[in-house]
Amino acid sequence: MNNAPEFMISTRNITKKVTTSEGPLQILQPISFDVKAGETIAIVGASGSGKSTLLGLLAGLDEVSSGEIFLDGAALHQLDEERRARLRGEKVGFIFQSFMLVQSLTALENIMLPAEIAGLDNPAQLANELLDKVGLNHRGNHFPNQLSGGEQQRVAIARAFITQPKILFADEPTGNLDAANGERVEKLLFELNESAHTTLVLVTHDSELADKCERQLLMHAGELTEKGKSEPVKPVGGKPQLKAI
Amino acid sequence: MWFNLAWRLFRHEMRRGELTIILAAIVLSVAAVMSLSLFSERLQSALVERSSQFIAADRVVGGRNPLPEEWQLKAKELQLNTAQTTYLRSMVFANDTMTLADIRAVNQNYPLKGDIKVADVPFGVGEVIKAVPGEGETWVESQVFQTLGLSLGDVLEVGDKPFTITRVLSEVPDAGFSIFNTNPKVMIRLDELQDTGILGEGSRAWHDLYLTGDSAVLSDYADWLLPQMDSDLHYTRSIEDDDSWVGERVKRAEQYFLLASLLAIVLASVAIAVAAQRYSQRHYDPVAIMKTLGASRKMVQQVFLLQIIFITVLGIIIGGALGYGVQAAVASAIQEQVAVSLQSWYWGPVWIAIFTGVVCALLFSLYPLLKLFSVPPLRVLRKDLGANMSSRVVQFLAAGGAIFALMWAYSQNLKISAILFVSGIVLVAALLVVTYGLIWLGRRLGKGRMGAWQLAWARIQRRSMDNSVQLISFSVTIMLLLVVLVMRNDMIQQWRDQLPEGTPNYFMANITEAQKPIMEAHFAERDVQTETFYPVVRARFVAVNGERVNTQITKEDEETEAQSNRRDAFGREANLTWSYQLQNQNTIVAGQWFAEHQEGQPYGMSVEARTAERMDLNMGDVVTFNIGSEVVEVTITSIREVNWQTMQPNFFFVLQPEAMQGFRPTYITSFNLDTERKDEITQLLAPFSTVTLFDVDARINQLREIVDQVSLAVEFILVLVLIAGALVLIAQVQASMDERQQELAILRTLGAKGLLIRASVVFEFIIIGVVAGIMAALANELTLYLLQSQIFDMRGSLHFEYWVIAPIVGAAVVGVLGAISCWRLLSLNTSQLLRNMV
Repeated sequence: MNNAPEFMISTRNITKKVTTSEGPLQILQPISFDVKAGETIAIVGASGSGKSTLLGLLAGLDEVSSGEIFLDGAALHQLDEERRARLRGEKVGFIFQSFMLVQSLTALENIMLPAEIAGLDNPAQLANELLDKVGLNHRGNHFPNQLSGGEQQRVAIARAFITQPKILFADEPTGNLDAANGERVEKLLFELNESAHTTLVLVTHDSELADKCERQLLMHAGELTEKGKSEPVKPVGGKPQLKAI
Repeated sequence: MWFNLAWRLFRHEMRRGELTIILAAIVLSVAAVMSLSLFSERLQSALVERSSQFIAADRVVGGRNPLPEEWQLKAKELQLNTAQTTYLRSMVFANDTMTLADIRAVNQNYPLKGDIKVADVPFGVGEVIKAVPGEGETWVESQVFQTLGLSLGDVLEVGDKPFTITRVLSEVPDAGFSIFNTNPKVMIRLDELQDTGILGEGSRAWHDLYLTGDSAVLSDYADWLLPQMDSDLHYTRSIEDDDSWVGERVKRAEQYFLLASLLAIVLASVAIAVAAQRYSQRHYDPVAIMKTLGASRKMVQQVFLLQIIFITVLGIIIGGALGYGVQAAVASAIQEQVAVSLQSWYWGPVWIAIFTGVVCALLFSLYPLLKLFSVPPLRVLRKDLGANMSSRVVQFLAAGGAIFALMWAYSQNLKISAILFVSGIVLVAALLVVTYGLIWLGRRLGKGRMGAWQLAWARIQRRSMDNSVQLISFSVTIMLLLVVLVMRNDMIQQWRDQLPEGTPNYFMANITEAQKPIMEAHFAERDVQTETFYPVVRARFVAVNGERVNTQITKEDEETEAQSNRRDAFGREANLTWSYQLQNQNTIVAGQWFAEHQEGQPYGMSVEARTAERMDLNMGDVVTFNIGSEVVEVTITSIREVNWQTMQPNFFFVLQPEAMQGFRPTYITSFNLDTERKDEITQLLAPFSTVTLFDVDARINQLREIVDQVSLAVEFILVLVLIAGALVLIAQVQASMDERQQELAILRTLGAKGLLIRASVVFEFIIIGVVAGIMAALANELTLYLLQSQIFDMRGSLHFEYWVIAPIVGAAVVGVLGAISCWRLLSLNTSQLLRNMV
């Protein structure tokens, strides 16, 4: 019997408030939606609309002010930072606009890093295979500042897949790249995602990139709507199914 | 896993120069402590060795009665070198005349340290002789020749035994230095002392056992001996507890080395704190990335702690080697002058250096590391997020506590540590106030058209917190350098002032009233200038407030010479002088100096402070003296502190001149005669056969030599500390340039001219340098006042010149360093600048 929950991500009325010098500010209005396992979704919206904040909450990098988030059945909102880190290490991959590579590690070592943190066997072998897949096997011993932007993002993609995560969060993955490199990275991302059957949550303001996803959610002033609809997005499932982590 | 990761990070970051600054700071701390401690250990050992010649041994044990045989046997059993002397006063006779002499009976081994010097003619230049008088021979000082009209080969009777005079005794190493109560020395063999018959019941003799050997063995011997000693009868002497002129200087030099080393530790700590802060900030992103990728807090802690440990170990190895090299170079450079031995090795400084490196590296990186560990993973999305810790209380507690603990542990001196620490805190508090004033100023001056000055002020205001930290560290560094520099200047100047060129090297006593003008004229004719003539009358001390002082006198009689030579002066007899003029380096601490005597008023007397304390004399007490058959009664009207370090006659009792009218004094005076003119002495004194001459030329030269050696060593220490300070300043400027890189990159990208950027950075550093210099000069005054008055027993004074010099030098040095770092950055193109930013 397959115990895997039907939805990889489920949120119920999640909000985010912050305190500013001018008083409390609600960045996210109550948001509830589900993402199916293996689904690719794009969260689009203007700068400052709250896309990255939502991504931070979904990935367990930040805590919700209220509401519930379930990630592959785990109640993320109930976990402390240490447990969220472990969950990220096991199930989540990340790609960032600014690549976020460790400058003092080589390309190969950057790719190995999540595998080492997760305690996987033969991280170097896994990393070399991925390096090969992203076409950078000749650049393994180079440091990030010796690589072009496109190459750095390919290293970041390889790093994101090394632990075979169930969910991949990508924050403006082509935002810092020129058109040619952007296209190459985009292609690589979707190819690897498809072959690994990973759920992809992609934050972008690039409509062409968003169009490649199965579903698009529009973020506007802290509210999330299904693209083309005016009503806030709603969950498709019932009560999320909890799974012990 | 984390070990591999930490090692990999360490290796790569080392290769890429990421760890250079923190590594340099640790290397600096270890090298500074290692070189200063090792050099200071060697130097102290050389100075103690040199100074131990003044007591003719490493340690002397003595007593009023012959010392137990087993004391010497035990010393021999421990393989210590020993020598013995017996010293007593006795009349010596020749040509039907006599004089009081200090008989020094020595055995074959005397002296264990230093040399006996003898001459062929009275007052001749002495030469070293490695022997003691032969059987039936005696060596006597020039005054005996002068007083008794003797020549070499004549016979001198000491008690019942005649001795042939074979040499003029020019110098013995442990002669001490006293003009009063010093009789000319007569040296004979110890095994012939018994034959003289002068060592009978009731004779006041001192029996000394001289010891040299390994310091640990000497210490064991002292432990064995001390319980058997009777403090009323026995005493020990070593150069460490010597309060003589030389002993005082060696102690002060040691204190200075200690101070310099402490300041070097503080400097190094500041460097580590600055570097650790920079290290932490440059690792915010890697930590956020690792946490995002699933690393637990524990794993992050292990990786980065391990990396700090790798850096520390490497820093200790490099610093230790460098420190050894520096001190070896310095020691070998001054080996000739100070006789510093490179052969001996000391483990103490090595452990201290390692301990300092570990404590500094770990405690000063504690807060930056704690901040690093608290960086949230969300930073991967929001670069503006830094560490979650906002309170600096931990930083101040950790850094302050570490500095104080290190200073205390290192110096074992709570007072010196507390003084430096409190001054530091006052400086930091003052700087915080100044910083906020500066920020307020920056808000006003940073407005308007963007010139270099406006950019500089605007940056000072915008980076207020960073600038306050930077300003504090610049000020502390400059202050510490000023303290070491000014302290050295003041200390050496005071020493040299006490022994200026032309310091009297001959003293004369027993000059009569009639001889005084003739002598002045006679000396002047031969181009020799006599100093002040002090009248002296020997008086018997009778009563205080009508009560006889027999008990005090008896007690004084039982005291040993080692406890105080000066006390003898107020035993049964005292030398009284009188004057309306307060002597140089005498300070009234109670009452008032004499005015003209008023009819019907009691006569006044001024008493030296320590004498008053020992004899329980107070203001208003009436003291009675017997002078011949006359009685003089005086009232204590003032108490004086006397600087005994000066080479001038000083007196315990100075009376109002009217009290002494009618008494016929003899006079004491002094004069300076170049060593080359020594052979003129006999001619100078020919008309004054009754006058006694004390030749202290050799002693003054020895003292001057020691002052020069210690001064030279102190100057080398100063240079080492200045180098350490300069490196700290460089580290600070580099660290702060790192933070400015982003802004420079933006300004460059926007097309700002290199000249504008460079000028704005230099102006910013100049402003910070000036303020740091002013604050450092002020804090320096406070610290110096506390150090000089509380530790170094020196008179404090203000140093106005540094109020101007410090801001100028601060601005120049910090400005130049800023310009150099800025030039380095601006030599990169915009894309390199942007790439370098992490």
